[in-house]
Amino acid sequence: MIRRISALVVVAVMVAAAMSPPAAQAARKLRVVTTIPDLKSLAEAVGGDLVDVDSLTRGTQNFHEAEVKPSMMLKLRRADAVIENGLDLDAWADVAIEGSNNQNIMRGGPGRIEISRGVEVLEVPTTRVDRSMGDVHPRGNPHFSLDPGLAPIITQNIVDGLARLAPEHRAAFEQNRKDFLAKLDSHMVEWNKAMEPVKGSKVVVYHPDFIYFLTRFGLVQAATLEDRPGIPASPQHLVNVIRQMKEEKIKVILVEPWNDVKLANRVAEEAGAKAFVMATAVGAVKGADNYIAAIDYNITTLSKALR
Amino acid sequence: MHAVVILVVALLVALGAAPVFAQDTEALRKELEQLKRQQEQYQRAIDALSQRLQRLESQPAPVTTAPPSGPTGPSPANPQSQMAPPSATDLLRPRQPFALYQQRGSGQLLFDMGVTGDFVGNITQHNVQKSGTGTFAGRENRFFPREVELSLFGQIDPYARADVRIEAGEEEPGAATGVSLAEATITLLTLPYGTQAKLGQMRNRFGWSNVIHEHDLPWVDRPDVYRMFLGEEGLAEKGVEASWVPDFLPFYVQVLGGIFNGDNETAFGHGRLTSPLVTGRVMTFFDLTDTMALQVGASVANGETPERLRSTLVGYDIKFKYRPDGWLHPLLTLASEGIYSIRRTERGVDVNGDGIFDTFQKQTRNSFGWYGWTELQPWRRWAFGARYDSTQYSASPGYQWAVEPYVSFYPSEFLRFRLAYKHTDRTQRDVLDLNGNGGSGRIMDEWLFQATFILGAHPAHAF
Repeated sequence: MIRRISALVVVAVMVAAAMSPPAAQAARKLRVVTTIPDLKSLAEAVGGDLVDVDSLTRGTQNFHEAEVKPSMMLKLRRADAVIENGLDLDAWADVAIEGSNNQNIMRGGPGRIEISRGVEVLEVPTTRVDRSMGDVHPRGNPHFSLDPGLAPIITQNIVDGLARLAPEHRAAFEQNRKDFLAKLDSHMVEWNKAMEPVKGSKVVVYHPDFIYFLTRFGLVQAATLEDRPGIPASPQHLVNVIRQMKEEKIKVILVEPWNDVKLANRVAEEAGAKAFVMATAVGAVKGADNYIAAIDYNITTLSKALR
Repeated sequence: MHAVVILVVALLVALGAAPVFAQDTEALRKELEQLKRQQEQYQRAIDALSQRLQRLESQPAPVTTAPPSGPTGPSPANPQSQMAPPSATDLLRPRQPFALYQQRGSGQLLFDMGVTGDFVGNITQHNVQKSGTGTFAGRENRFFPREVELSLFGQIDPYARADVRIEAGEEEPGAATGVSLAEATITLLTLPYGTQAKLGQMRNRFGWSNVIHEHDLPWVDRPDVYRMFLGEEGLAEKGVEASWVPDFLPFYVQVLGGIFNGDNETAFGHGRLTSPLVTGRVMTFFDLTDTMALQVGASVANGETPERLRSTLVGYDIKFKYRPDGWLHPLLTLASEGIYSIRRTERGVDVNGDGIFDTFQKQTRNSFGWYGWTELQPWRRWAFGARYDSTQYSASPGYQWAVEPYVSFYPSEFLRFRLAYKHTDRTQRDVLDLNGNGGSGRIMDEWLFQATFILGAHPAHAF
């Protein structure tokens, strides 16, 4: 038996030795995988022609509850870098990354890029939290990626991460970032102008994943259709929300494409308001095909809805 | 005269005291100025503290704050990074476990922990209880904690992670609850060429359901084929398992190989590395569309029984899921697993017809078992499913089949209730009366129920 085991070990070592080492990275594009499509769009903007980017999820999905599939592991197996949102939004990615057997992107590896570093996190609990409050995030609200005001921080994290893998391209990444932010700035002027007349307006959201966007443009989240995050609404809670909407004359409910749009429509009808499916991510709705287009869609929808 | 003297003395005293009054007035004036300065300092301090308090109070309600500047404006530093490190007193102060888990930033716990509780119960016929051959053998017509598990997991360092699971559960009727080590593994994550190694005590990746712990199974009980061929808890072993994921194929393939002691009481059990249990598995996966996926695997395990007889298990597994776009759960899941057992056994031979075995003959017994399962989850909180089992016995003649429809109710992601009905039909009565008291488990009708909770951290599961 010992002879059999020894033979197996020798064969395994020979197979491993026979396999060619990874090809030189300088000759090819960096393979980048992002956990959510917003980051794919930003990574493409920063990486330009120097990167090939793929996303593990689609914009129509709820990123909290993405199912870890081996096809994700295959993408990650070949990746030079993985860009994750952090703050527990994409905690499931750990399982996919571990299943990829790719040493470069394991936690602590050079190819692991988390973009929440430096972001001023909103809704960080200041008191003790537990799950009686629903699916709370102890480190704060993780839905910040579509706040255009945070794009400079996010893209800087991406530049730093990519430059760690390809330091020779840092200048190119920096330049791409600068160009992208300049473009974003020009859009920001238009967006601020469009939102100026509706500043201070109250809206109701289905799930609290618009808070960064609303804060950025001076809107107020008055209530959520979910009783508590991740917990389906009770009838009593919906009655209270409808009453509040009527009293405060709230005319808009924002809903995610993956959430119960029918319920949002029913509540809106009862309250004399209207529900709008928002681009909660790049690709969440038709026309929101990239980062700027997704924000543009939300600005257009909201500015029209609130007038 | 006296009056003149008194007047002179008073005058002298008054004249002498005048500079003293002047000095006191000056001192008082200085003191007043100093007090005024102090008051101003205190006022400034109070103003600063008030402003700071207002800032802190305004943080939890960001929607009411003024909108920040444009996208390229200066970025505020992460407030979490400004937290002061904990003092020695902070570290020594008793904290509640959940609060300890929740704490992030400075002084955070460097690994995750969670508790899962799985309680099951069953109601069945009296003769089944007498025979002790119910789904929960020996615990018929009881409600009990099957598995209450404490999980600790996280990175050890940049190169490896550890998973430890300690479980307690009722193994036989009574007040006693045994505590045991369910799993303790080190996974080496940074090996080259797409390889990983896992060593320690683990649930083996044999088929797709064997690796799943009791509380995470989509049924109340493990499929009969596993219970017949590998025992009530399936295959859990101590040893080393290596995996390889090639990066040159257009689809996902995972290749696994392992060497273990061979402690399984049913199929192996020799328990020595001189003649170890060797396992292997190949698994592949296909995204048929954006909403449909198929996973297919083949597994093998080869070792020796306690009698030093060779035992080999070959298994297949297949799983299909349909999850409509944007859904938080699959609408339809279909799966099947099967195991073919090739096992050397000893058969007693009565040569002279005196009813006593005179010699034992070795023979090879081949047997097969499988199950098919379907689950429909039209709503987030409700799932309906059924499993059909058909299994031959691995070491003796005969077979059994069973059908088990069930309904699951999920009040939240962390709490689940399940009710199932299981009908089992076995071909033999004699070999099934474990207690030898005339009971029978040939035909069984059981109501099974289950309550499961998750407290704290719980890792996601793949597909």
